[in-house]
Amino acid sequence: MRNRRRTGAVLLSVALALALAACGRADEGSGAASGPASQAAEIDTSSASGEISVWAMGTEGDNLGVLADAFMADHPDVTVEVTAVPWDAAHDRIVNAIAGGEGPDVTMIGTTWMGEFAQLEGIDPTPSNFDPSQFFEGAWDTTVVDGTSYGVPWYVETRLLYYRTDLAEEGGVTEPPATWDDLKAMAKGVQDAGAEYGINLQPGGTGSWQTFMPFFWQAGGEIMDADATFTLDGEPCVEALTFYDSFFEEGLTAPAAGDVPLEGQFANGDVGSFISGPWMIGIVTDAGAAPETWTVAHQPTEEAGTSFVGGSNLGVLADSDNKQAAWAFVEYLSDPEVQITWYETVKDLPSVQSAWDNEALAGDELLSAFGDQLSDAKAPPAIATWEEVAAEIDAVIEQVTVGDMTPEDGCPAMQEAADGIGTGA
Amino acid sequence: MTTVAPTRDSATAHAGPRRGGSAWWLYLLLIIGVILLVGPFIWMVLGSIKTTGELRQVPPTWLPKNPTLSNYTDLLDRLSFARFFLNSAIVAAAVTAGNVIFCSMLGYALAKLSFPGKRILFAIVLGTLMVPAIVTFMPLFVLVANLGLVNTHAGLILPFLVGAFGVFLMRQFIGGIPDELLDAARVDGAGEHYIFWRIVMPLCGPAIATLTILTFLGSWNSFLWPLVVANTEDMYTLPVAIALFATGQQETNVALLMAGSVVVILPVLIVFIFLQRYFTQGIAMTGIK
Amino acid sequence: MAWSFALPFLLLFTVFMAGPIMVALVTSFTDLRVTDIRNPLSVDFVGLENYLAVLGDARFQKAAANTAVFVLVGVPLTMALGLAAAVGLNQGIVRFRTFFRVGFYLPVVTSIVAIAVVWRLLLGTEAGLINGILAGFGIDGPGWLTDERYALWSIIAMAAWRNLGFLMVIFLAGLQTIPGDLYEAAEVDGANLWQRFKGITLPLMRPTLLFGAVITGIGYVQFFEEVFVMTEGGPLNATLSLALYAYDQFSFGNYGYTAAIAFILFLAIAMLTVVQFRLFRTEA
Repeated sequence: MRNRRRTGAVLLSVALALALAACGRADEGSGAASGPASQAAEIDTSSASGEISVWAMGTEGDNLGVLADAFMADHPDVTVEVTAVPWDAAHDRIVNAIAGGEGPDVTMIGTTWMGEFAQLEGIDPTPSNFDPSQFFEGAWDTTVVDGTSYGVPWYVETRLLYYRTDLAEEGGVTEPPATWDDLKAMAKGVQDAGAEYGINLQPGGTGSWQTFMPFFWQAGGEIMDADATFTLDGEPCVEALTFYDSFFEEGLTAPAAGDVPLEGQFANGDVGSFISGPWMIGIVTDAGAAPETWTVAHQPTEEAGTSFVGGSNLGVLADSDNKQAAWAFVEYLSDPEVQITWYETVKDLPSVQSAWDNEALAGDELLSAFGDQLSDAKAPPAIATWEEVAAEIDAVIEQVTVGDMTPEDGCPAMQEAADGIGTGA
Repeated sequence: MTTVAPTRDSATAHAGPRRGGSAWWLYLLLIIGVILLVGPFIWMVLGSIKTTGELRQVPPTWLPKNPTLSNYTDLLDRLSFARFFLNSAIVAAAVTAGNVIFCSMLGYALAKLSFPGKRILFAIVLGTLMVPAIVTFMPLFVLVANLGLVNTHAGLILPFLVGAFGVFLMRQFIGGIPDELLDAARVDGAGEHYIFWRIVMPLCGPAIATLTILTFLGSWNSFLWPLVVANTEDMYTLPVAIALFATGQQETNVALLMAGSVVVILPVLIVFIFLQRYFTQGIAMTGIK
Repeated sequence: MAWSFALPFLLLFTVFMAGPIMVALVTSFTDLRVTDIRNPLSVDFVGLENYLAVLGDARFQKAAANTAVFVLVGVPLTMALGLAAAVGLNQGIVRFRTFFRVGFYLPVVTSIVAIAVVWRLLLGTEAGLINGILAGFGIDGPGWLTDERYALWSIIAMAAWRNLGFLMVIFLAGLQTIPGDLYEAAEVDGANLWQRFKGITLPLMRPTLLFGAVITGIGYVQFFEEVFVMTEGGPLNATLSLALYAYDQFSFGNYGYTAAIAFILFLAIAMLTVVQFRLFRTEA
């Protein structure tokens, strides 16, 4: 016993001494995120050789071997080893890998993790081999942290309005809703035509900001200004929150999270519309919605018609010892042709704009609608604390839609919470 | 931890099953209980032979309209099943064995031997159960990384080879073994290790069965640690591999997940069915007195 | 002599359990965030700041109140159900014994995803089975999971349902340590079933019951999975648990703050455990 205690005490005092010896954090100024993002010097990837390991999540990881093989055929001197990582806790796994120095050379990164990984100096700045204008602007912005780009967009997704055209027509709505008023009218129309709820909007809960923020942008709001200060409180926020809440007030959307899957309710006509990403095409079809009964539409336009852009980026880890081959592989994955192959393999939408000219996408009515929206889609600022700020926004949305907070109180509450959290810089 | 029976001790030393038949109402209660408890399990099994489309339908169905084994064949096709199963089995077997042996040893010392600091040691060990695992996760990973154990079986096993749960359980059960029995052996000249292995352990059948069942279950199902420590797919355990194929960024393939869950719990159920027969009245304890 | 029994355990324990806990304890006095992990030594010591911030956070207070209710109601409920199952299955049941035991154990091993789906079918507001039955009696059932007033109770019921099999296993093992002849003698003396349970089973099971109470208490103070899959702490934080609150802070990367929550939780569990040890020592 005595021994054990002493070991514990020694361990503790060593840890304390080490920690105290270091004199705390240096003051870092936060640069304004304006002007074009800076990139690192160009890397010559033509002579890449050696071995690299790549992590990718879920389906992407499961199928990336296809592209890795093709890449190795092009670059016989490079060996690519792909490891598929489950989406659950993938974030924790990468954080731990960076902390323990056990990471891969290249990894797939969720777009909202960029600020965090860049700030902990876990990933490298993008070399100037990559031309930002090649990618959708909103997607490229997700790589830009404090004025510097870290990694490139790999695939993208954005949110559109899914609605039942048959019910809308029955309710007297023949055109896709162009404005907020149109959206409200469409929701009422499908409800009149027999849907239990005209639309489905999330009453708070994780991720509801992804549905709400487009309304905020459409009202002319910006999450942050050029000085990296939150600008959540203000007229656009109140307008957007009031509009969002009005669907709940008027009984046009379910007052609480439903207990039956949305896709099933959409397929059988209980719910007339909802806002979501391209993966729902397959899901609502699977649930039995006949193709002629529904379609997708561009987000409604007020000041703007902006939607949310998500997806995943590719980053090269700062600890990688073969950055040449790592960036060569990233370069390969950003090639328009390869992006089309990738779309055909796993249905991931290309982040490279020119790939959308391909018939596989341009010829598909539903998908090309997503392509249109992508040129007017934004992501939240790439700051290390975004997930925490987002959770506060989710909480306020719930307070307003389910609880008894007013939009006029909700927006200052969002602003205060976000200011309290800060940007982590 | 002495136990005092308030009723008078029976003079007759008769062991074995107590009564023959049981009242019908007992069976009735048990049947009601089972019905209330097995619903989700049955739904899981039935769900594993449905198509994803059927699982998305409203209203949901209980019986599959078009039963299919495709979820299982999908799983087996895509998984290096044998490899993942083997990894899980190695880890769970080692962790279970370690816990049974090492925790029983300390449990015996805490229950039956006297030494300075015994109570404090027990408190400290028990205390580690009370610190949420989430905060030790990263320090533990950095430690394992520095020991060079990332992506090894040792890295998957060593941090869980002992645990406070097992110590506490074994201490409680070993405490119930009459001291006279051990003292008699000591008088006969038996050493403590002889007593532990030859007298105490054989008497702990039900407790060891419990510890085995629960430790095996915990290790077999563990997800977060293997996910982080296994860097390459050839070190993945079964739950990690199934999560890989069933969960996406935005959607979960529930049918595949159900098939995976059925596959994952089969070994756990087999262990339970095999070991629950040790929960039988009077093999050990009643023979003593 | 005792140390030779303790040594293998203590070696592994010190390195892999006590060590990381010490590091976490030090962390709780710093402002460590995820962005510091490459230079963990460059963080600032902030004294008790994290602890004070946690205790002053309204969301923490809400989570603490929820957790207290969960533990105070959930632990006795689960213990009672687990004990009833174990005692029932330990009667002289010969036929289908394995079947019943497996049946009671199934919720413990069933995938939480399947459990969540079925419990939602049960508790759903509109399509739920319970509200369907209530509707048959002309009662308009509430939102069991979406109404602030009922959500926590629904989660408690679900947790008790899910964990009673775990305690059943432990209690079944404990029941085997009771000599069968005690019951026979009591029966001869004319004691009825309840008297035998109260006079023999309960007192002789005390070490096992203490174990069950402590382990369930420790688990329930950290209850997480049920709310994580069912409600994510909602509606309006009505089911937010301390462990979920800590998990959120961890995933936000606030490691120092999370560690402070963890050690506040530790103190709460330790106090609960001390009370339980007292309770089961003095009783009967």
